[in-house]
Amino acid sequence: MKLSGNWTGYGAAVAATAAGTLAGWVISPRFDVVNVAMVYLLAVVFVAYRFARGPAVLTSIASVAAFDVLFVPPRGTFSVHDLQYLLTFAIMLVVGLLISGLMDRVRRQAAERATLEITSETERIRSALLASISHDLRTPLAVMAGASSALAASGERMSAEERSALARSVFEQARDMSDHVASVLQMARLETGAIELERDWAALPEIVASVLDRLRERLAAHRVLLDLPGDLPLVRGNAALIEQALTNLLENAARHTPAGTVVRVRARQEDGQIVVSVEDFGPGLPDGDLEQLFAKFQHGARELSGGGTGLGLAICRAIVRLHGGRVWAERVPGGGAALRFTLPLEETPPVPREADA
Amino acid sequence: MSDVRPNVLLVEDDPDIRRFLRATLTAEGYHVVESASGRRAAIDAGTHKPDLAIVDLGLPDFDGVELIRRIREWSPMPIIVLSARTQEQSKIEALDAGADDYVTKPFAVGELLARLRVVLRHAMRGPTGQPTLRFSRATVDLRQRRVTRAGEDVHLTPIEFRLLACLAKHLGMVVTHRQLLTEVWGPTHERDTHYLRIYMKQLREKLEDDPMRPRHLITETGVGYRLVADE
Repeated sequence: MKLSGNWTGYGAAVAATAAGTLAGWVISPRFDVVNVAMVYLLAVVFVAYRFARGPAVLTSIASVAAFDVLFVPPRGTFSVHDLQYLLTFAIMLVVGLLISGLMDRVRRQAAERATLEITSETERIRSALLASISHDLRTPLAVMAGASSALAASGERMSAEERSALARSVFEQARDMSDHVASVLQMARLETGAIELERDWAALPEIVASVLDRLRERLAAHRVLLDLPGDLPLVRGNAALIEQALTNLLENAARHTPAGTVVRVRARQEDGQIVVSVEDFGPGLPDGDLEQLFAKFQHGARELSGGGTGLGLAICRAIVRLHGGRVWAERVPGGGAALRFTLPLEETPPVPREADA
Repeated sequence: MSDVRPNVLLVEDDPDIRRFLRATLTAEGYHVVESASGRRAAIDAGTHKPDLAIVDLGLPDFDGVELIRRIREWSPMPIIVLSARTQEQSKIEALDAGADDYVTKPFAVGELLARLRVVLRHAMRGPTGQPTLRFSRATVDLRQRRVTRAGEDVHLTPIEFRLLACLAKHLGMVVTHRQLLTEVWGPTHERDTHYLRIYMKQLREKLEDDPMRPRHLITETGVGYRLVADE
């Protein structure tokens, strides 16, 4: 508890005792002295209710002292020769302690509830995750169950083309589902810090070529242009993770731009870092804070309709940050979007030259 | 005439995965011996004399990498590893321990069958390998140490040639960074991946039609490289 809070409490204890004394002085000519004790008890209850245990105890002591000195004959003296006022004091103390204890518990519960509200953001993400998983897994599961049961039940009566089309759809759905589960796991591992970054020397052009190979089908309808300078230095990082980050950016571009448009992958060396960009010429980015694009499940509905997990850009950001870089989105004049990330540069150690030339 | 179907040892603990692999492999003309555990597989590998082993890395009773090491102590039979995505590190260990190639789960059986054909062809060709490789427009004569591209001679430095020869020795199969670095530069350089990055770039510029989109000198990100030649 804060010290200033305490001082307020003790101030209130003194004030409440004074107020009790004043009220007691007003009623004492007409009421029995026991009722004055009741007024003091009210002061104790008030302080115990509003403040902590310390001020409540102080109010009890101050009230009994004031009561004894000012109202119990002989007035003006502090002589507890009557046992009954000791009892008054004891009751006031017990009531003060009880109420302040109760209030303490109530306040603690209120604080716990506040903590729960803070964790509700985590809850929101968790339920979005569940919604995403159940939607994105249920649909392919339904296709797989349907197609495979059709094959099992009446495969013999189907044409070879029908059979292979059904079998292929089972495979494709399963592969997408597996990608989905992998990205959910990847996000969880990145978030819990379970991934320890193993750095090695990596060549960006190799990573780009590998990504394009992996996404050949998904980018088949787009024209991919590469703009990678021949003298691009090596980067120090985890090639598999950087490949994942770039894959997610390109998948995002493929998903949100119409067929036939250009997607350009560029890399530049700039101010001691490498800037990698994926630029598209689609409908552009939504209004509002572009940083939000990289939050988890931010545009859930749009992502779901496009077949994404709502995690792609968040995973990309987590990977880039792990490498000490940053990722951001820009609106391209005339429509289109540019998503860029940086990777810090380190000097490549020398490679021994060959005698032969 | 005796059974000429290649004998495949399938080491996999999941019965459903065994079932579809058995069905496919049998349909493709292989004879399949199944082992549901690593312990069993270590015995079966000796008694059944397989031509090839497919080893799942996620065995419950036994480390798949350890199984590969044991088989390698006495047999050069081709080994293909089945690995889950979360087993990146053990996949590389398995390759360094002597596995010839890998397929990541979930996989399309077509991919697995293609790997099987490559490693069996390699095993039949023997350790000398294929003397001449053809790329889209380039030809590499490994014995004559002669490289031409579109009819012109191409000069490779001794290291470039050693790197290419090392990949060619495992034609169509993945070769890990460590294997390449150890074989080309020596064991003290097994962690100098930047050598590889730089020399692979040079090789691609000399041999590939489009070095930015290589079709023959393929990167296996985080694992190594693979040389794919025209049939």
